[in-house]
Amino acid sequence: MTSGCDDPFHCVTCSDEGVEMHVVAVDEDRGLALCAAPDGTRSSVEIALVGAVGPGDGLLVHAGTALTRLTEAPVP
Amino acid sequence: MRFVDEFRDPNLGRVVAGQILAAVEPGRHYKVMEVCGGHTHSIYKYGVDDLLPANVELVHGPGCPVCVIPMGRVDDGIALAHEPGVIFTCFGDMMRVPGSRGSLLEAKAAGADVRMVYSPLDALRIAKANPDREVVFYAIGFETTAPSTALTLMRAKAEGVPNFSVMCNHVTIVPPLRALLESPDLRLDGFIGPGHVCTVVGARPLRFIPAQYGKPVVVAGFEPLDILQAIHMILRQLAEGRCEVENQYTRVVPAEGNPRALEVMAQVFELRPHFEWRGLGFISQSGLKLSPAFADLDAEIRFGVPGVRVADPKACQCGEVLKGVIKPWECKVFGTACTPERPIGTCMVSSEGACAAYYNFGRFAREREVV
Repeated sequence: MTSGCDDPFHCVTCSDEGVEMHVVAVDEDRGLALCAAPDGTRSSVEIALVGAVGPGDGLLVHAGTALTRLTEAPVP
Repeated sequence: MRFVDEFRDPNLGRVVAGQILAAVEPGRHYKVMEVCGGHTHSIYKYGVDDLLPANVELVHGPGCPVCVIPMGRVDDGIALAHEPGVIFTCFGDMMRVPGSRGSLLEAKAAGADVRMVYSPLDALRIAKANPDREVVFYAIGFETTAPSTALTLMRAKAEGVPNFSVMCNHVTIVPPLRALLESPDLRLDGFIGPGHVCTVVGARPLRFIPAQYGKPVVVAGFEPLDILQAIHMILRQLAEGRCEVENQYTRVVPAEGNPRALEVMAQVFELRPHFEWRGLGFISQSGLKLSPAFADLDAEIRFGVPGVRVADPKACQCGEVLKGVIKPWECKVFGTACTPERPIGTCMVSSEGACAAYYNFGRFAREREVV
């Protein structure tokens, strides 16, 4: 799980870290989704590897790319 | 928070710890390696090893992507960062990894335009916003981050972004595991498999471990209960005389991995004949480079890099730590000359590195071992 940069022991910028996020909105033209982490952080995520997704879907995200769907979306 | 609170429940943790205690054979010493740096971090952060019987020892494997980058590749990156007009981008932890003449962070202080990004897509965005500059992304990581780099390169090619290139340092998880298993000074009873790598490659590539080396493997998640349950599953396999790959992390890891991710990686990358790992030396077919179809986006070809091999610092025992031969605090410079603020070895740089995790969280575990 992710943690913020105020955590001295773990910085979110080490991108080889899986972050469970849920989809907020999908930009089909660009193949990206706006996703939110449980702490509310939002970022654009590449969704080419997980097929069609919609708002509310849960994704495991590594380095800005969704690698797999979660069976249930993480709830903030 | 769903999928978090349940897997950090202290009462459930104590129940599984009791099951582990019941599964161990008195008088037998068990050594279980967690392959992934994410597991190492969780083990120390949550004190998982304090819940284990004294005869169950966790050994920290080579799965921290930052920790295995050799000094020569850091020097190559710094040389690229100093090229005129270059914006050099990399993940945050990579900036503090020491090369032979400083780190990327020090190169930035000396005037190089080094920028931290969260994703290779961010680097591509920087390239599009700065068409008069060359933007290099320093790619590191296992099969978890390699698909992201591959997709970014495909986007760069499709969108025609001529000023973007990648210096590829991606590695694969199976060859170092095989090298470790062939190491004569290593004795292990089982492996906690890398959960997120297996979301991409599936569990099949790990089958050689039980088939050829007779060691059980359990692919696990990263919450404390995931790790405890995986240890229990390994001990149960040993007690029952079974030896196979099991998946504890079924809520995230599909059995077949992600075929689309494997497909894009196959299009963009090819295996290097050999690649150097810090502390482990050269390992055949363990590193990725860009395939000929993407050679025009290969920073090593576009700029040329010195490619000088630099020996690891003599005082640093990262290699023995990565092989699990010594505990982090048994290294001669641990906590004295080598600290997270001024690391000598890469294991002290990343929060997923065994030394940094031990330095930040492991004092109590050390006391237990000393006693």
